[in-house]
Amino acid sequence: MSMNDPIARGLASGWNVTDASKLTTDQTVEADVVVIGTGAGGGTTAEILARQGLSVILVEEGRLYYQKDFKMDELTSYASLYQEGMSRVTADGAIAILQGRCVGGSTTVNWTSSFRTPDETLNYWSQNLGLSDLAPDTMAPWFQGREERHTMAPWVTPPNLNNDILKQGCEKLGYSWQVIPRNVKGCWNLGYCGVGCPTNAKQGALMTTIPGALDNNAQLFHGLRADRLVMNQDRIDHLQASAMGPNGVTPSGVTVTLKARHFVVAASAIGSPGLLLRSELPDPYKRVGKRSFIHPVNATVARMPAKVDPFYGAPQSIYSDEFNFKHGVDGPVGYKLEVPPLHPAMAAGVVPGHGQEQRDNLGQLPWMQSVIALLRDGFHEDSPGGTVSLRDDGSPVLDYPITDYLWQGIRQAYLDMAEIQFAAGAEAVQAVHLDSGWYTSWTQAKDAINQLPMKPHRARLFTAHQMGGCGMGADPKNSVVNGFGEHHQVANLSIHDASIFPTSIGANPQLSVYALAARNSNRLAQKLSGA
Amino acid sequence: MTTPSPKYCPEDRPELSRRSFLKTGLGGAMFLSTVSMTAGLTGCATAPAGRVSAVDSRMDASYQFEFLSRDDIALFEALLPAMFAGALPEEPNQRQHAIAGTIERIDQGIVMFGPANQKELRKLFDLLNFAPTRITLARVWSDWPSVSTESAEAFLNRWRDSRIGLLNNGYIALTKISNVAFYGHDAHWHLSGYPGPPAWAVDALPQFHNA
Ligand SMILES: Cc1cc2nc3c(=O)[nH]c(=O)nc-3n(C[C@H](O)[C@H](O)[C@H](O)COP(=O)(O)OP(=O)(O)OC[C@H]3O[C@@H](n4cnc5c(N)ncnc54)[C@H](O)[C@@H]3O)c2cc1C
Ligand code: SF4
Repeated sequence: MSMNDPIARGLASGWNVTDASKLTTDQTVEADVVVIGTGAGGGTTAEILARQGLSVILVEEGRLYYQKDFKMDELTSYASLYQEGMSRVTADGAIAILQGRCVGGSTTVNWTSSFRTPDETLNYWSQNLGLSDLAPDTMAPWFQGREERHTMAPWVTPPNLNNDILKQGCEKLGYSWQVIPRNVKGCWNLGYCGVGCPTNAKQGALMTTIPGALDNNAQLFHGLRADRLVMNQDRIDHLQASAMGPNGVTPSGVTVTLKARHFVVAASAIGSPGLLLRSELPDPYKRVGKRSFIHPVNATVARMPAKVDPFYGAPQSIYSDEFNFKHGVDGPVGYKLEVPPLHPAMAAGVVPGHGQEQRDNLGQLPWMQSVIALLRDGFHEDSPGGTVSLRDDGSPVLDYPITDYLWQGIRQAYLDMAEIQFAAGAEAVQAVHLDSGWYTSWTQAKDAINQLPMKPHRARLFTAHQMGGCGMGADPKNSVVNGFGEHHQVANLSIHDASIFPTSIGANPQLSVYALAARNSNRLAQKLSGA
Repeated sequence: MTTPSPKYCPEDRPELSRRSFLKTGLGGAMFLSTVSMTAGLTGCATAPAGRVSAVDSRMDASYQFEFLSRDDIALFEALLPAMFAGALPEEPNQRQHAIAGTIERIDQGIVMFGPANQKELRKLFDLLNFAPTRITLARVWSDWPSVSTESAEAFLNRWRDSRIGLLNNGYIALTKISNVAFYGHDAHWHLSGYPGPPAWAVDALPQFHNA
């Protein structure tokens, strides 16, 4: 393997990394801090604490995959890098959930879009939830610090045609559009961010904070699932964890007990509330798992006259916020418009269908363009989010009822996306919906979309942004942690991931997670070093 | 957490009872109280097929099935010709090979879904394989090995167009796992006009060359 790869080099240099599938006997380990999850939040936390000289153990249920494994192949990547082998869905099956499960978490498979938390969102939190410490000007230095750490900058290479069509359509209609900042260094503009960056250009946790933590003597267990935090009186005494066998999903039977002064949970939305529920931690107001948000996503596809090759090039480089805060922060639901990459398995899984019709649809893939709307859920009383609970086997599941408020936004988004695609010269547009045909004009599309039933399963919905479920707030009656991610009831427990967001973000969340985790970890490091 | 068994044997096969019946998730929340489902499925039909002999099912005998049972394989053998009409090769051997390979990749994919979603799919497949539910819910009258491509196509259309969301969900589950395993496979990329990863990048990247 190439010694230009920082992970291969680090492993060769003696990083303390344990593949739990290789363990044959139960064991107990101890550190100052145990961090559960190695994604945006966990990686940031581990690096900051380890740099302060604290001993840190990282626990990751997924496995360690790196450059040698990233071969631009969808099937192997979806099976190994995603939660539930890419089959995760909401409780009723109506929303497909894309979420990472590997070292680096979702940042290993994310599409590199890097946005600060919108001011509107931060102001809403500070005005409505007592989180005035999180106002835009106080957060600005934390965003800036993380933008530097992850090399985030607006993408200067021309967008691929898939993204350029969003720009063209917006320009024609007088809608605003912008270039997306990306966390990349020396990006080859290949378009495989979703299956693990093959060039190491993507500056996710895997290329930044995880090596940073391991260089500072942190220990990493991968293929080790956190099962239960066990309390002794009012503190967490230890974490009970199960090693996965060689396939990464079936427990081998070996367990690891992890003791620490402090525990940081960063297993993300769905994962973190799941762990807290399994652990039966104090939850006097029954808040854990509630108010889980997902930026529900719907999509349209267009057939363009020219080849789009939507599988090549930086997956996301143009966005439009025209509709995001159009009706204020808490009016009818707003949405951000972006573009998804389309590779064959993804396209075939997302566009529902079978037989000759499906074959014909997919045969047009090189000419296909797609726009997605990411709905800003959680800012309105008719958008209370979903609830995480436990299945029989203890694994977490998200129940997410789609309210009429959201359905209105979903329909409006189908309309806006179709209009933009026609304005950009689409020959035909289809809503990703079981009842949609191919519409050949905007007037036809408008009439038809207005008739489409807005019902679960028929409208195809997705999420790649899981948030909330352990929401932060000043008042323990309606939150799980305070504004620093500190658990309201358990003193030696913090939560540093997307699960603490009290609403959705209204932008792709990675930078929000990085920045809050950095801020909260600095405070935690001071506390623990001082103690 | 309990340690889930990777293999399904008759003992731990989920009980299909009158009350809970494909209640949730991936397979489709099929709570249909009108259907009386008391009969326990007997025999070992839902145990993983393991190594299916070539004579038996024309499958590549070197592949070891970890999740799909013989009945499930028969189900997919009946569904895939409809699922991929116009996409499967015409030549009988190649066609058989493409179907068998897709069913193997479906099995591999499901193994990585993990225990909870495997359980959902087990319920869905059991429901489709058990005659009383196959007839009442799928309205497929004969057992799968004797179902024609036209009837399989009609079944897929019924579940897609049904007004019952739960059946739509079953349709989505079946088509999604099949579509991904078929169109995502490199031998079928040409069907979607996908040339594969750029050759220049493959040439330049170390992981494609065994150093
Ligand atoms: C396909 C895709 C594309 C995306 N694109 C973008 C984008 O372009 N821009 C953007 O800003 N955001 C994007 N996101 C979302 C973004 O990556 C996430 O919001 C962010 O990584 C969340 O950080 P986190 O720390 O909360 O969780 P994660 O980064 O997901 O990390 C959580 C980790 O915890 C582990 N874990 C869970 N349960 C356990 C357990 N019991 N024991 C041990 N470990 C456990 C998981 O395996 C995972 O590795 C994308 C996500 C996906 C899936
Ligand atoms: S587009 Fe850039 S960041 Fe994404 S996979 Fe390719 S090289 Fe990596």
